[in-house]
Order: sequence, then C-alpha cells, then structure tokens
Amino acid sequence: MNLGTYRFSDLCSVIDHVHDLFAQWERTVVQSEADVQALHRVKLAAHEWLANLVQHATFDQRVPEISFAIHLNEDRIDCTIEDNSDGFDLESQLLERSTSLEPYPERGMGLLMLNACTDALTYQSVDGNRNRLTFTITANKDPWLDIPFHI
Amino acid sequence: MNFQIEPCTQETLVVKIEKALDFRNAAEFKTLCQDHVRAGARNFILDFSDTGILDSTGLGSIFSLYRQVSPLNGQVVFASVSRPVQVVVQLTRTYKVFRQFPSVEAAREALA
Repeated sequence: MNLGTYRFSDLCSVIDHVHDLFAQWERTVVQSEADVQALHRVKLAAHEWLANLVQHATFDQRVPEISFAIHLNEDRIDCTIEDNSDGFDLESQLLERSTSLEPYPERGMGLLMLNACTDALTYQSVDGNRNRLTFTITANKDPWLDIPFHI
Repeated sequence: MNFQIEPCTQETLVVKIEKALDFRNAAEFKTLCQDHVRAGARNFILDFSDTGILDSTGLGSIFSLYRQVSPLNGQVVFASVSRPVQVVVQLTRTYKVFRQFPSVEAAREALA
C-alpha cells in the first residue's frame, strides 16, 4: 500500500508534520502489533534523518525541498526521503561514529540508531542537486545498537 | 511547556516529559535537571506517558543526567513508557541501565 509522497520546504515544521502523518497512519492503516512496532521504528528512523538534515545539512542558497514517501508491504515498510541539500558521505560518517562511541554518549548516536533499526540503508546523489535516502524496516525484527554501558 | 516537575521527597522528583524529548529541547531538559541536582535532587522518575518521540539527542541528555546522579547514588528510572519511547529503549537496550515501571506511582513506591 502506497501511503503517498509528501513535500516540505520549511525545516522548522517538517518534523512535526511527519509526526502527524505517523499518528494518522497508526490510527487508520496498521493493524497488527508487529506492524505498529515496525511503523514506530520507521518514525524513529525518519525523525533521526530529518533531525540530521535540519541540524547539519547545507543548502547553499536554495530553498530546502524535502520529500517523504512510504510504502507498506506485507512484512516490511519501505521509506524514501529526498532532499536538495549539498549531501554528505553517510558511509564514512557511520564508520567514524561507530568507532568513537563512548559510554553513555550524549551525542553521535543518531545516524547509528538510524542504521541499526533499518535494512538496506543508502544515501545517494540523484539527478544533479538531489539526494535520496532509502531504507526498509522489517516487521518481527529486534534490532540492536550496541551502546557501551561501562565506563 | 516541555517538562513538568513534581517533587516527591527531598531527593526524588517526577519529570513529566510532554510531547517530545529530542534535539529541539534536550538542552532545556539537561539544564533543568542540572539545576535540580544542584538543589539536592538525586532520583529522577521520567514520566513518558504522553511522549511521542524520544530521539538520540534526548537519550543523550538522559545519559548526561545519569552520569551526574549515579556517583551520588542517585537513580534515573522510566515510568509509563509510551510505544515510541519503548522502541528506543528496546533498540538501545537501555532497560539494562534505567529501570522501567508501569506507572509513576509504582516508581515512587520503589524509590521510597
């Protein structure tokens, strides 16, 4: 089931709008407990990515354009988030952060949480000044981000 | 207002997290808790009953609180954990660090 594509250009309100969409979908679309859990993982992943864009993305002098698309399948949810920022090397950032995570970390977990709770995560440049993040959340999975808890 | 404080005892208080604890208000949460620790609070019951999102920065601010009170024999516990918060707790296995209670009342009794 295609839940649609949504477009935003206001970085101050995009996260609240996306949260509202998830609240609506939880009420109207998903039914099983496994699907609800998966939807909440998608919401967390989308939030962490959008938070990353809001806090760190650069757009030169362009008006930010973010599009968000979500597709429900039988046992997984596919999500695509496109942006017109200058982009960055997600793989390198993930590698750097995974090797520098300290006990009870205050910062630096966002991209790692996004990576841990998703499958097939990619971020690539498409068509000139657009970038595309894609990921899948599989139902009935119990992902784990190993945070050190011993100082 | 993002956070409501309700003192229980001289050392224990309840912090009701409203709609979100995330990158937008984590600094406010951190400052609020630091002020209360300086004033003598040691045990924090975080009430997540109405919380729609706890993100990585919000979790980091809770870790910061834990780092402050733990050496003082204080505790940070979670109460009435909403579904969105439970997703983060499960993903990060922070139930190993922060005890969870089904209600604020249950947390109060345990810390009394």
